[in-house]
Amino acid sequence: MSPADKKDKPADYQRVVLKNASPYHYMKVCLVLEDESTRLSAVDLKQFIISGLKSLYGEVGAALTFDLLKYDEDTLTAFLRVNSRGLVKLWSSLTLLGSYQNQACAFRVLQVSPFLLALTGNSRELQLD
Amino acid sequence: MSVFMDLNLSFTADKKLLQSVVETAAHLGFSTVAINYVFEPTAKKKQDIPSPTPINELIDQLPVVQGRSRPIRVLNRLTIVMSDSSHFRPNAAEYRCFDLLAVQPTTDKLFHAACMTYDVDIICISVTEKLPFFFKRAPVNGAVDRGVVFEVSYSAAIRDSTMRRYTIANAVSLMDTCKGKNVILSSAAEKPLELRGPYDITNLGLLFGLSDGDAKEAVSSTCRSVVLHAETRRTASGIISTMRSCSESSCQQEAPPAAADSEAPAAKRAKHQLPDD
Repeated sequence: MSPADKKDKPADYQRVVLKNASPYHYMKVCLVLEDESTRLSAVDLKQFIISGLKSLYGEVGAALTFDLLKYDEDTLTAFLRVNSRGLVKLWSSLTLLGSYQNQACAFRVLQVSPFLLALTGNSRELQLD
Repeated sequence: MSVFMDLNLSFTADKKLLQSVVETAAHLGFSTVAINYVFEPTAKKKQDIPSPTPINELIDQLPVVQGRSRPIRVLNRLTIVMSDSSHFRPNAAEYRCFDLLAVQPTTDKLFHAACMTYDVDIICISVTEKLPFFFKRAPVNGAVDRGVVFEVSYSAAIRDSTMRRYTIANAVSLMDTCKGKNVILSSAAEKPLELRGPYDITNLGLLFGLSDGDAKEAVSSTCRSVVLHAETRRTASGIISTMRSCSESSCQQEAPPAAADSEAPAAKRAKHQLPDD
């Protein structure tokens, strides 16, 4: 094959197939508290989630790495990134968290996706006019 | 795919609280919920079976289910906590006011009877104590064949960490026996913050030893089959149903005024009479 042949060929495309192999999952969660005036910093939130992991899965579960990518203190909405392997663990510990500092609370998992881009919009909140 | 259902919301006399629980359920995406009345007979004195408050008295305006633009469907359900076989009376007229009928057996014998013979829709698994008996294959398979389902409720697991241990242990031991078939997961929530979304519950089902598919069925299609099973329970083999007509016609004159608690549509009994005619 001569170099001239290579030039004539159209641009190469690379085909990428992901067989459920995306390394991370992203979650958009919202914390609902009984007393809505409670303020929570990002550090508090992460500590709270870790305590939930620890109470359900013990020390090994608390070692699960997850990241708090973004957190909005006003709406208590957070974006979490977690290893796909740890998704079930993290999600179930969020589900079973029921009290924060002796007041009832609940995590509402709004969206879960292997792609961060998918969390930019929510089809369930679309306003079709 | 079938819609999501939560067939256990605890009844509270506080109307406002109940309304907010139903509203939260609708917001989370449940299309059907059932309000649960628990009846626990004690040996000492005779108690009355609670009668359901009509839905339109409880909730003025049914909230719209998220993403479906349709109001939520609310059913009534009775749960009988049994410690003696006399606590469940087959063909009791009081049971007919309820859409769903559930029993919670507390002994091995009653569990066997509930699985094999009782005409109920749901068998509740205790989640607040160590399992008082062992699930045997035979009654569980019998229940699966008859279309009766087992219910595990999760709100106790949210309230308390000891209950969480019992919930998980009892659920896993049930799943070992029934292999994930005919199981529903429901909340038994008293407050809105004890409710969780359908996908959260699906994920929780994985923790209880269900497979991915079974976990999703536990909040959707199995619940649907329970509701359908409950409807056939009121009819003769699901073919003929009887209902009282509203108009006071002459043919109803011989019927006593309190027809509801004596000779209300006895559909199942009619089935046995058929060969005699």
